[in-house]
Amino acid sequence: MNKNYIFLTVLMLLLALGTFFVPKKQLVSHEVKPEKLLLDITQPSRYVTTDQVAKMIIEHDPTLELIDVRPADEYDKFSLPDAVNVPLKDILTPEGQDNLGIEDMNAVFFSNDDIMSDQAWVISTRLGYKNIYVMKGGLNCWIETIINPVEPPETAPKTAFETYQFRKAAGMYFTGGNSIKTDTGVKKAKIKVRRKKKEKAASGGC
Amino acid sequence: MHVHERNPKRTLITILLFALVIVFGWITMKKPRFKYALTPQQTVDMVIGHKGCFHPYELAKVLNDKSGEVVLIDIRNNFDFARGHIPGSINITAVKLLEKDNIKQMDQWKKSGVKVVFYHDDQLQANGAWMLFRQIGYENTFVLLGGYNYYASHKDNLQKTEKTCLKGIAKYDFAEVAKKSGTVANETSTKTTKKVKVRRKKKEKAASGGC
Repeated sequence: MNKNYIFLTVLMLLLALGTFFVPKKQLVSHEVKPEKLLLDITQPSRYVTTDQVAKMIIEHDPTLELIDVRPADEYDKFSLPDAVNVPLKDILTPEGQDNLGIEDMNAVFFSNDDIMSDQAWVISTRLGYKNIYVMKGGLNCWIETIINPVEPPETAPKTAFETYQFRKAAGMYFTGGNSIKTDTGVKKAKIKVRRKKKEKAASGGC
Repeated sequence: MHVHERNPKRTLITILLFALVIVFGWITMKKPRFKYALTPQQTVDMVIGHKGCFHPYELAKVLNDKSGEVVLIDIRNNFDFARGHIPGSINITAVKLLEKDNIKQMDQWKKSGVKVVFYHDDQLQANGAWMLFRQIGYENTFVLLGGYNYYASHKDNLQKTEKTCLKGIAKYDFAEVAKKSGTVANETSTKTTKKVKVRRKKKEKAASGGC
C-alpha cells in the first residue's frame, strides 16, 4: 500500500520536472502568430492621413502619441509638435518599448516617408501591441499637404476646396511657431491703443 | 483490511488513466504551422541594413534571361493583375500567401535557391508581406523597390535606376521649409493689424458724433 503512494508521488514529481524542458518562449511571449500578422498586414486600416494627424494635433487630442522613428539627428532638426523620438534601431530597447502599449493611447509612427514607420509597425504588431498606426506619406507628404498645400483646380469638387481650406489654416497653425510670439506682442499693443481711444470718447461725451 | 486491497489493480488503473490523458493531450496539441525564425532584434537589424531590396535594374536582367532563378510574385488582387503586370510574374494575393499550396511552392523555391521577389503597386504595400516571410525563415524573399507603378512608368529604361524609386529619403529640408512658411505667416499678420487700426478710428468718430 505504501509502495503505491510512493510510486505515484515519484511519477508526479517526474512529470513536474518535465515542465522545465518546455521552451521558455512559448510560456512568456505575447507574440502574434504569423497567420494573424499577415491578416493585419493586409489591412489598410493602420494608415492615417496627414490631415487626420494635423486635426488631432490642433485639437490637442489627448490620445494621440506621435512617434518619430527617424535617427536622432534628423529629429533634432525638425519634427512634429510633441513627437517623441524612437529611432527604428532602438525600438526594442526598454526606452523605446515604454512608448508603446500605453492604455487608451493611439501611437502614430512617422518617418521621412512611410517605409521605416511601416517596418516599425510590423515589428511592434508582431510583438502584440495594439492601437498603433502609420502616417501615410510621412513628413514628405506632411510638407506637401499641410505646410505647402496645392490649390485644387476650379473644377474640383467642393470637398477638395474644404480640404484645401483646412490645410491652409493648419499650415498657418504649424508654421507659426515663431510668429505666434510676435503676434501676441502686436495684440498687446492693440489693447493699449483701445484704452487711449476710450479716454478720448469719454472726454468727447462731456 | 485496507480499502485498497479490495481491488489490487486500483493503482495500475489510475496510472493508465493518467497516462491516457497525457497522451491524448500530446496528440491533440496543435503544432504551430509557422514559427518565427528571426527574433524581433534580428528583424530590426535586417530592416536597418536594407537587406532584401530588389532594385529595378536587377529586374531588367531578370526580364532578359528567363533562367528561372528569380520568381516574381504579384501580391495585388486578381483585378489589378489582369489589368497589367510584369511579364512572367505569378499572381498570389497577399491574403492567400500562407495557404498550404503556396507554402509548398515557397518551400520548393527555398530548397532550390530561387529568389522570390514580391511586388505590389509600390514598395510600401509589399513591405509587410516581405517582412513576414523573412521573419518566418524564407531568406530567399525580396521586395521590389518602386513596385509595379515604377515598372509601368519606366518599362524602357529600367537599367537607370532613378532616385524616385528609392524610399525613406527626405525630399525637403523640413526645418527650412517650415521656417520659410513661418515668415510668410508673419507678413500676413502685420497686414491684418493695419486694417484693424483703420476701423478703430471710424469708431471714435461715431462715438463723438453721438455726443
